[in-house]
Amino acid sequence: MIGFILADLRRLWLGGAVVVLLVALATALGVAVTLQERSLRLGSARAADKFDLVVGAAGSETQLVLSSIFLQPAPLPLVEGAVLTKLSTDPRVDWAAPVGFGDSFAGYPIIGTTTKLVDSTTTGFAEGKMFALEGEAVLGAAVDLPLGAEIKPMHGTAETGGHTHAGAPYKVVGKLQPTGTPWDRAILVPIQAVWHVHGLGAEHGHEEEHHDEDGHDHAHEGEEHDEAAHADAEADDAKPVAEMPASQPQKYAFALGAASSAHVESDHHGSIDPDAPIVETFGASTPGLPAILVKPKTIADAYRLRQEYRTGNTLGVFPGEVLTRLYATLGDAKMVLSAVAAGSQGLVAAALVLVTVIHVGQRRRQIGALRAFGALRASVFTIVWLELFLLVALGIGIGFLLGLGAAQVGAQLFTAKSGVILPVGFIREDLRLALAFLGFAAVLAAIPALLAYRQSPATALRA
Amino acid sequence: MLSLKIENLAVSFPGLATPVLAIEKLEIAAGSRVALTGGSGSGKSTLINVIAGLERVKTGRVVWGSDNIADFSEGRRDRWRAANIGLVMQDFHLFPGLSALDNILLPARLSRVANADLVQRAHTLLSTVSLKRPEQHVETMSRGEMQRVAIARALLRQPGVIIADEPTASLDLESGEAVGDLLLSVAADAGSTLIIATHDPRLIERLDRRLSLRSGRITGDTQAKDIAA
Repeated sequence: MIGFILADLRRLWLGGAVVVLLVALATALGVAVTLQERSLRLGSARAADKFDLVVGAAGSETQLVLSSIFLQPAPLPLVEGAVLTKLSTDPRVDWAAPVGFGDSFAGYPIIGTTTKLVDSTTTGFAEGKMFALEGEAVLGAAVDLPLGAEIKPMHGTAETGGHTHAGAPYKVVGKLQPTGTPWDRAILVPIQAVWHVHGLGAEHGHEEEHHDEDGHDHAHEGEEHDEAAHADAEADDAKPVAEMPASQPQKYAFALGAASSAHVESDHHGSIDPDAPIVETFGASTPGLPAILVKPKTIADAYRLRQEYRTGNTLGVFPGEVLTRLYATLGDAKMVLSAVAAGSQGLVAAALVLVTVIHVGQRRRQIGALRAFGALRASVFTIVWLELFLLVALGIGIGFLLGLGAAQVGAQLFTAKSGVILPVGFIREDLRLALAFLGFAAVLAAIPALLAYRQSPATALRA
Repeated sequence: MLSLKIENLAVSFPGLATPVLAIEKLEIAAGSRVALTGGSGSGKSTLINVIAGLERVKTGRVVWGSDNIADFSEGRRDRWRAANIGLVMQDFHLFPGLSALDNILLPARLSRVANADLVQRAHTLLSTVSLKRPEQHVETMSRGEMQRVAIARALLRQPGVIIADEPTASLDLESGEAVGDLLLSVAADAGSTLIIATHDPRLIERLDRRLSLRSGRITGDTQAKDIAA
């Protein structure tokens, strides 16, 4: 029987191929939507995994999460530096780290932060070491630059008409292992460098004010703190760098305080002092920040802290919670897409029924002859059913692979743009979907098979 | 080898006032060779379908040997036909894409009765019908060769009855003659009852008995010796 079916399919290979293609495309559409949505959900959840609590200035929760976790450039209101100081000393807080953004290099965002954050959110270095001086930078795994490369930060991004900062460039000293998060695309530098680059003495309350819409969110206020911070760093310039274990930044907790630096005065827009050791204790005069990542000690602490920092000028959010809200929106979009996919599958199914019913009609004589020469009715049913079912099943199989491929290509494009690694793959639930599709195909194939089954051989031969 | 007895048979089609076939009594002895003649619309094809078990009979009895196939269910008729009737049609009804051998074996395979013996028999039958290439695809054959494949297929399960519907009508003179010879000789060898619906006078001549049909009724029933006489 299989031989007969195969001979028949070989003879009708073109029609068969079209049927397979139709089914494959319709299936792939649905599968791709499902896989893409799921991978987006999982991937972004993973990206937010390490970030328990984010504190920023009062404003949009979603934007705060998008900017701090997905490093999406957008103007954010700044939270006072004092908040970081307070959080750092809070007994409920394991660690709190500033996140300063706004600059970029070759399309990669430059993020100012602390060694503590880098240590706590990554699995370690692929090569090189942690930044220990103000002029050093650490690369995310997806940043395509070599160790020792020089990075001249650009204010904003090239697309938004940014300008390159003058002054000394950063030097790449390390490259992190991949984390699968947008931070893989980031160039990490000491937060103090970011402050200094922007000359946080804003007696030049300069053009950034007007740039903000273009996606520059800078800690450009807090002018009075800047000189002090910079100067202090300068003062400790002499400390031997080699003795600075990155994991214990507190050891270099230089109090920010009085001191002045002619350097700052002479270089308004600011520039880094490449050889200054980094300072990671933040006193009361810390400049404003777009976001602070907080690692609370316990879950209860997390809730309390969020509650506490949701009042007044600050906003505490759980990224996971914000993402859940975003997923709800994503879910709606998925429903629409799924409905479109289901509609197209329905159309294909209807078209297949039409084609096969016509086809069976055209082959009445042949089917009649099969019966006349002694084939059992059940055999005729099985032949017609199996022939269509095989084609549709093949189409479904190819469709799943196509859908997987499409989702993977989509995920790769997304990863290239965002750094978020989207885990595309099948899960048990998809098996159920495949079985449902196959079950539907079985029922679909039974329609022409029943028609063939019911044909009287004598009538069929007369036709 | 089976005998046929038909009693009070009437076949009507919806929308037609008179039955397309009405036979009060007809007997065909086992092993006899019968020609069935009549113009189109005479009920010839219907009679062939009825005695081959292709058409359901609502009125009357059609008894082959001791089985009244009018009582059979459709499935039982299929099985009975597969085991007892060798059918040869004007249009061969071979399946393109399959070899001569596969075509011969197809009905047996679809009834799940094909075994090594039947495959062996199929090879033997191919040489009986003078075909030398079992693997040749049927669509590459001449019409005469195709009909010989069809005859081999009809003989595969050693049916007691061979029924042929205009087996030579679509063939040229020479091929038609060869097919006629073949049918007669294989039926004689197996002792099968042979019933051939045909217009072909040369074929009719060579059969023992001639039944003429007109408007669904038997209007003539002559023995060959009567014709000769």
